[in-house]
Amino acid sequence: MVAWLKVEHDYMSDEGYIDYFAVLGLTAECKPGEVRKQYKVLMKALVLKIAREEITEARRNAFLLEMCRLNAAYLILRDTEERERYTAQRDEVIALEAQWQELNAKQVDTEEIRRDYDGALKQFLSTYMEERMLEAGRDKECIEASKWDPMHERHASTVLRKYRQQLYHKIQERLPYAEITTPSIDWNERAQVVSTILEGGVV
Amino acid sequence: MAKTATPTKTLADEATINTCLAHTIAEGDLVNFRFCFLSYSPLRAYSSEDIQNPRYSYLLPRDDTPSSRHATALALVQQPAIQAHVKTQLETPGAMQLPWEPLLMLADNAVALGKYTTAAQAYEQLRIREKMRTLFIDQADAALDQGDLERGVLGYRIASGLTYDYSAFPEPLPAAPNYASKALILHAVYPQKVEDCVALLPQDNHIRVALEYLLLDGSLSARLEDKPLDLRLKFLKTLVNQIDPHWATFVDHFKETCTLVQASEGKLQTGEKPSVEEITTHDDALDPKRIPATLLGREIPGGDWWQYLKELAYSHPASVLFLTRQMVSKDLEIIMPRLLHGSAVVEALDLNIPEETA
Repeated sequence: MVAWLKVEHDYMSDEGYIDYFAVLGLTAECKPGEVRKQYKVLMKALVLKIAREEITEARRNAFLLEMCRLNAAYLILRDTEERERYTAQRDEVIALEAQWQELNAKQVDTEEIRRDYDGALKQFLSTYMEERMLEAGRDKECIEASKWDPMHERHASTVLRKYRQQLYHKIQERLPYAEITTPSIDWNERAQVVSTILEGGVV
Repeated sequence: MAKTATPTKTLADEATINTCLAHTIAEGDLVNFRFCFLSYSPLRAYSSEDIQNPRYSYLLPRDDTPSSRHATALALVQQPAIQAHVKTQLETPGAMQLPWEPLLMLADNAVALGKYTTAAQAYEQLRIREKMRTLFIDQADAALDQGDLERGVLGYRIASGLTYDYSAFPEPLPAAPNYASKALILHAVYPQKVEDCVALLPQDNHIRVALEYLLLDGSLSARLEDKPLDLRLKFLKTLVNQIDPHWATFVDHFKETCTLVQASEGKLQTGEKPSVEEITTHDDALDPKRIPATLLGREIPGGDWWQYLKELAYSHPASVLFLTRQMVSKDLEIIMPRLLHGSAVVEALDLNIPEETA
């Protein structure tokens, strides 16, 4: 089984901070030649899979997302400078999260670090979950390997936006509450409230 | 020159704080609820703003007789733990931390009052928006299975309102029922063939397009596709009536327009390529501009077809599903009624007209 099949249903295996080395099934020490070779193998397998399967809307979105991930991984990792920039930003956002969690556990004021982290996280997700992915679709080699066209780009921007939001939420779920006190939700009570609202009653 | 100290004041009194918070919670008003905790809030210590100033009267309830929502909210904010947290927040300079119980009640009230945008934002802060949306859909589906359409449709409308994600990367514009813009997209291409005309779509497609347009959420309308045709028709009728309580007014205008066109010996054709000549050759009897004006119920001076379309979509969202664009001369394009005679959609929405008129 090729690497992308292994990870396609577990996009949180990298804690939400997309790991492009893992996307290509490579280590951080890999050489540009290995990146090129592995990208070609995985993209070919993906294109063949797309050709074989009946395309539903859900599958189209999943394939599109996988294509974006592979293209972006290739675009970023084949270039040394680009790779370093990506690795540094990823490390920074992971370190900020750890720092915030640590300070929060000590119950000290975390407002500043929280803001820094949130900004860094949004920046990371915007850059590596959208901009670079769409940019990769315009790269000559990526176009050739993935048969990417403007129609793909149009759909991909919607898919990526949704995916980026999902990742952000998933990350948020493990973080402490900051702007509100930690809620304790009773879902039976919630179901009752929903029922009352639908009846048109006062909550 | 000696530097004078910035005048500060003490915290607003407890009763006023509670009343203000209860008012915002009862009204499902997230903006003012948050405002109460901001550094320049008139309720806060270390703020130069004063709640007694008349310009902050909007933070207090207008009625002397508080609603049951207000009473419930007041009871909540008077709970000792919440009151103590609020007091600490208002006394301490720096970033605020909102108490979650009042925020949850505020979100529920916002849903009940139809303020779905606010509700979505508040649920988002509590990180339960998606789960609440699922709860509404599940209960709406159960209601539909039991034949309770009012409840089912309301559940879908609320779920649609809670779809918008406000958290990390909000869209440039907040989610709102933007039927006027959606109607333009629906009629963006001039219908050259019968199948291009929304109003003349086969029954099944027409319902699908109508539900997608009215629910504002493709994933929700897709859920309804597996339901029986009869149920989807009833759903559509209930949805139209819930969204547009004045639908009957449009029905009257629609029928009046059809009669008007018939009286001028022109015909509203269905199932065939629209005939422009039938209108223009009898223009001594009918000024084509009267057609959109009658549909809308008023004339827009110098109004183009799209202006009528947008205003109709705003007043009666479902109306644009029974209209088409029509060139009547080189310089004049109008919107006019068009329907598929015998369609169950037309029947369900009371737009059926005598066959000779159709």
